Amino acid sequence: MNAYAKRVFNLAYQFSGSHQEAEDQTQEVFLKLYGALPKFDFQRSFTAWLLTLAKNHLIDEYRRTKWQRTQRDDFDERTTAAPLAGNPQETLEREENRRLVWESLNSLSSDMRMAVILRDLQGRSYEEIAQVLDLPLGTVKSRVNRARLALARVVEEKRGGEP
Amino acid sequence: MTCERPQELFSAYLEGTLDPALRRAVEDHLAACPDCQALLAGLRKIEAAVADWPELEPSQALLARLSAIPTARKKFRLVPDILLRPSLQPYFAGAAVLLVFVSFIFLAPQGRSFQKAVNRQVHLGWSAAERIYAKAGSVTERLGDYRDNLLGSLRTLNILKESETEK
Repeated sequence: MNAYAKRVFNLAYQFSGSHQEAEDQTQEVFLKLYGALPKFDFQRSFTAWLLTLAKNHLIDEYRRTKWQRTQRDDFDERTTAAPLAGNPQETLEREENRRLVWESLNSLSSDMRMAVILRDLQGRSYEEIAQVLDLPLGTVKSRVNRARLALARVVEEKRGGEP
Repeated sequence: MTCERPQELFSAYLEGTLDPALRRAVEDHLAACPDCQALLAGLRKIEAAVADWPELEPSQALLARLSAIPTARKKFRLVPDILLRPSLQPYFAGAAVLLVFVSFIFLAPQGRSFQKAVNRQVHLGWSAAERIYAKAGSVTERLGDYRDNLLGSLRTLNILKESETEK
């Protein structure tokens, strides 16, 4: 169960940007999961089904409450647990880019944010994402592309706005 | 070429899944468009930044809360799980549609007015038959009158003839 908890928790954390919120949402997703288990169709992949459940819950919850906040947790050592290889200058630059990406995620609409998180932060294949989002492959690809473009624009804007 | 179409292809371009002709078209556009060059450079930076994005371990407190869920749930179920299997859903849907049709026939107001219409037709048919019967009665009466008249005339004719022969 811990592996599934980790996946849902990370998805919730990356989506909401708040550690506290992610813990609460993970718990709610698992509550729903236990309620929905009898309806699980064994011909489907369990992971995809769980992620679909989590995604629906997160987006619904986000739309319902907007989480009363636009600020994400500080991008701290928790998010960069893995040490970065390479020379210090590159590491520093990459670190800075990660921070900008993290802070810009909230500027995307919930659908786009979910697409870019699944593809780029979690490294899922387009086929898997299509299953999770229950969308045709072509739609997923174009949504990921649009989300990346939007993200790149916001990141550059932030970079330009900072001293 | 406007920037929109090449930008739609940027992800496929970066992932190397674009076919050669489109790839060349994107490169041609990039060579002439500084805005798209900057955007693509931004995408590359993001691509590098998000690679190996670290995953967090959920806290022990959260894991403890999660493993407490199954026992905390109520055991009582209103509907047995076997009835909630997805494979049964088409049958439930079919039964629902059937019930709707049955209710149209037995409960809907159209059903009652249908009955009324039938009753009315039967009533109309009955009264038409009665009228025909009454008409037929008057016709026989009139025919009887004609017959009496005719017989009367014949009789007077005979009397006249007899009186003439006596002369």
